[in-house]
Amino acid sequence: MLFYAVGVGVHCTEFMGIMTASTRLIPRESSNFDEVSMHQSLLFSDSLQDLKNLRTQLYSAAEYFELSYTNDDQKQIVVETLKDYAIKALVNTVDHLGSVSYKVNDILDEKVDEVSGTELRVSCIEQRLRTCQEYIDHEGLIQQSSVINTPKYHKRKGRSPSPSPQTSQKPGVFSFTSTMPKKELDKRSVSPHRFPLLRSGSLSSRPVTPSSRSTTPNSSRPTTPNPSNTRRRYPSEPRKSASMRLHADRENGREVEQYPSKSKRLLKALLSRRKSKKDDMLYTYLDEY
Amino acid sequence: MARAGGITNAVNVGIAVQADWENREFISHISLNVRRLFDFLVQFEATTKSKLASLNEKLDTLERRLELLEVQVGTASANPSLFNS
Repeated sequence: MLFYAVGVGVHCTEFMGIMTASTRLIPRESSNFDEVSMHQSLLFSDSLQDLKNLRTQLYSAAEYFELSYTNDDQKQIVVETLKDYAIKALVNTVDHLGSVSYKVNDILDEKVDEVSGTELRVSCIEQRLRTCQEYIDHEGLIQQSSVINTPKYHKRKGRSPSPSPQTSQKPGVFSFTSTMPKKELDKRSVSPHRFPLLRSGSLSSRPVTPSSRSTTPNSSRPTTPNPSNTRRRYPSEPRKSASMRLHADRENGREVEQYPSKSKRLLKALLSRRKSKKDDMLYTYLDEY
Repeated sequence: MARAGGITNAVNVGIAVQADWENREFISHISLNVRRLFDFLVQFEATTKSKLASLNEKLDTLERRLELLEVQVGTASANPSLFNS
C-alpha cells in the first residue's frame, strides 16, 4: 500500500511538476519589444512541449496502474489513487490546453492586427503614389496642351503682331464671323422675321413658306442681320478688320439684291388684302417700313 | 448462523454493486469531460484554421499589393525625369 501510494505520489508529483513548470514565469524585465516577444514565444514552445510530454506520461501512468491493480491485493487503494490521478491529469490538461489556446489566439490576433496595420500603411502608400501619378499626368497634360495650343494660336492670329492674353478673345469673334457657313447666312438673309406683319395676313398670300419660318427660331433674331441694322453698320465698318469687312460686304450685297424682290412680294400681298379690316394698320406699317 | 452469513453476503454484494455504480459514475464523468475537451479542441482547431486562412489570404493580398507598389516605385525611380518639373 505504501509502495502504491509512494509510486502514485511520485507519478503525480512528476506530472504536476511538469504541468507547473511552464507556469513558473521568471520575472524578467525586458527592455524592448523583441525580448518580450522572444520570451513569450519561448513560454509558448514550453507549453507545447509539455502537452506533447503529457501524452506519454498518461500512457505510462495507465500501464503502471494496470499492473498494480492486477498484481496487488489492495485494489481499492489503487482505484482510489487512479481516480485522484485521473482527475488531476484532466484538470491539468484542461489548464494546459486553455493556456495554449489562449496564447495561440493572442498571437493570431496580434498578427491580424499587424497585417491590418500593414494594409493601412500600404493603402496610404498607394494613395500617395496615385496622387503623385495624377499630379504627373496633370503636369504632362498642361505641358502638352501648351505645346499644342501655341501653333494654333499663331495660325489664327497670323495678322496680329503680338500674342497677348487680351487679344486671345478676338479669335473667338473671328471664328464666329469667319466660320459662319454660307448657307446659314443665306438662310438668315431670306429669313421672314423682317416681315412680322405677314402674320396678320392670309397664309395663302404669303410668298415665304411657313416651313422656313418655323425653322428659324425666334431666339436667333438678335443674331439675324437686319437690313436696317446693316445699313446703320456701314459707317462703322472701318473699325472692323479686313476679314470682317469682306464677309459683311458679301452679306450686304446679297441682301441688297434680295431686298427689292421681297418688298415687291410684300406689297403685292398687302395690296391684295386691301379690303380687310386691318388695312389702316398695314398702311401705317408700310409708311413706317 | 447460515442466515447471518447470507445476510452478510447480501450486504457485501450490495456494497460492491454500489461501489461499482460509483466507479461507473466516476468514469462517465471523466469521459464526459474528456469529450468536452475534445469538442473544445475540435472547435479551437476550426477557429484557428479559419483565422489562419483569413490571415494567409490577407498576407497574399498584401504581398501582391507590395509587389505592385515595388514595380510602380521602381518604374518611377527608373525615370527620374518625371520628377524634374
